[in-house]
Amino acid sequence: MPTDTKRVRGPEVSQSPSLFDCRPSVVPPSHGTRADGRQRDQVDVRPVFVRCGLVSQAKGSAYIEAGDTKLLCSVYGPRETERKDETDMKCGRLTTDMRFAPFSCPERGSWIQGSQDKNFSLMLQESLQPALCLHKYPRSQIEVNVMVLENSGSVQAHAITCASLALADAGIEMYDLVLGCSIRQDGSSYVVDPTYSEESNWSSSEHQGGLTVAFLPSLNQVSGLQSDGEMAEETLTAGIRTCIEGCYKLYPVIQQALVKAVRKAQPPPPES
Amino acid sequence: MATVKVSEAEKVYILHGIRDDLRVDGRSCEDYRHMEVETDVVSNTDGSARVSLGHTAVLVGVKAEIGKPRPLVPDEGYLEFFVDCSANATPEFEGRGGEELGIELSNTLYRVFNNKNSVDLKGLCISAGEHCWVLYVDVLLLQCDGNLYDAISVAIKAALFNTKIPRVHMSSDDEGGKEVELSDDPFDCVRLSVENVPCIVTLCKVGHRHVVDATLQEKACSVASLIIAVTHRGTVTCVKKVGGGSLDPESIFEMTEAGKRVGKALHAPLMKLLQQEESLGKKREKVGFLG
Repeated sequence: MPTDTKRVRGPEVSQSPSLFDCRPSVVPPSHGTRADGRQRDQVDVRPVFVRCGLVSQAKGSAYIEAGDTKLLCSVYGPRETERKDETDMKCGRLTTDMRFAPFSCPERGSWIQGSQDKNFSLMLQESLQPALCLHKYPRSQIEVNVMVLENSGSVQAHAITCASLALADAGIEMYDLVLGCSIRQDGSSYVVDPTYSEESNWSSSEHQGGLTVAFLPSLNQVSGLQSDGEMAEETLTAGIRTCIEGCYKLYPVIQQALVKAVRKAQPPPPES
Repeated sequence: MATVKVSEAEKVYILHGIRDDLRVDGRSCEDYRHMEVETDVVSNTDGSARVSLGHTAVLVGVKAEIGKPRPLVPDEGYLEFFVDCSANATPEFEGRGGEELGIELSNTLYRVFNNKNSVDLKGLCISAGEHCWVLYVDVLLLQCDGNLYDAISVAIKAALFNTKIPRVHMSSDDEGGKEVELSDDPFDCVRLSVENVPCIVTLCKVGHRHVVDATLQEKACSVASLIIAVTHRGTVTCVKKVGGGSLDPESIFEMTEAGKRVGKALHAPLMKLLQQEESLGKKREKVGFLG
């Protein structure tokens, strides 16, 4: 059984008070507008706030806020590989680490098991790797660390966006930015960029599932794809198309944030 | 994952062959290698199965134990997956080398079974909130020659089909407390319905085409693969892209369609074989590991 050896949990017999909640849990309705006013069945992503260069000690960093989801990413590198036996002579290595702060989820630390954290880090690595020009950094290692400060849904997708922004801020050569978008299928309708309650409530309809896509917009390539739950194949293909549209919607915002950060770091020469 | 080093000339040879729908061992792009499935190979388990797909060999053992249900779903039992990459398979797995691969495989299995319909979890409940059956599914990789996901999923389906859970009933003892009692007949057991257990199909993108059941050499020529878990009705329970390359959205759509087709076609012959094996009962000749 996967156990979490890194976090200090409460005593074994203690349980979260939410289990004893007398009020019946509010299942978000499968029709009509969503709880935060967005539309279903439309590519309605939450407005994002992005800033680069927050962590002064890191080579590059980025902070993203989408609704209540808050993520911070910092990039260190390229630097010498720690373990000499894993040095690759021809191209660099990318190491990713995605962690959740214990207070980030409604249940303290217990929602994520130790080995499931690894799942997120692995998907992050697989999504970022195609976009980086690793052959330009032989014998080096680039470290990407994502910290989730508040988990209010769609964490994997925003982590991918945040990480690629931090990599660009660090000056690592990339082929394109990687943007992430996720969608939740609930019977016949879908919601884009789900919140935590939309993600975790399982209603009794036949087809339910979640899908996260990592996309490179200018190259039109999918670099990461992960789904779970049950979906028909047509809904899967439609879902991938919807996520790609969501990524295109997000692209200009991310580009603008990057340009702003570059301008701040190196102000353009004054017109003489 | 165990890897082989492939020279550039060999890569070109494999690529050209796949482009013309002819792989190195003569298969077409959507053919599986010779697959052998045998159940009930380990007597100490409640259910077990051995699958060998080409040179990949996988052994799955299922043990049922009584445990406490999860707090959020008190009326359901659950499954626990653990994949062990044995050092027998390749020297890379010695010590903790195979741990990363094992964790990746078991996380994918959790994701594949993370829905209401694959296994009837409510049927695993004994008394809500107190006792339930926990099925520990342990996968052992004996030999590694590519395409681990497919072999593991077929073995899990066969092992779950073979699983015999003892029949229990709740009885109240003198002080009014509840006790779990096992029935007296050792052969009185409950079987699981594996109709909706999905099978995983791995499609590797090699050049402009995709191949099913790639060998290690073909895997070395591909940049990315897509794993798709399909049930017999064609519903997809998990899709995952693995590998360090990127895929065109059009290829993904093509690959999901092919994966669904291949996956759906896998279930019927497998169920037929399992039922045939079951019906032979004691008369069945056990092949075992050296057959």
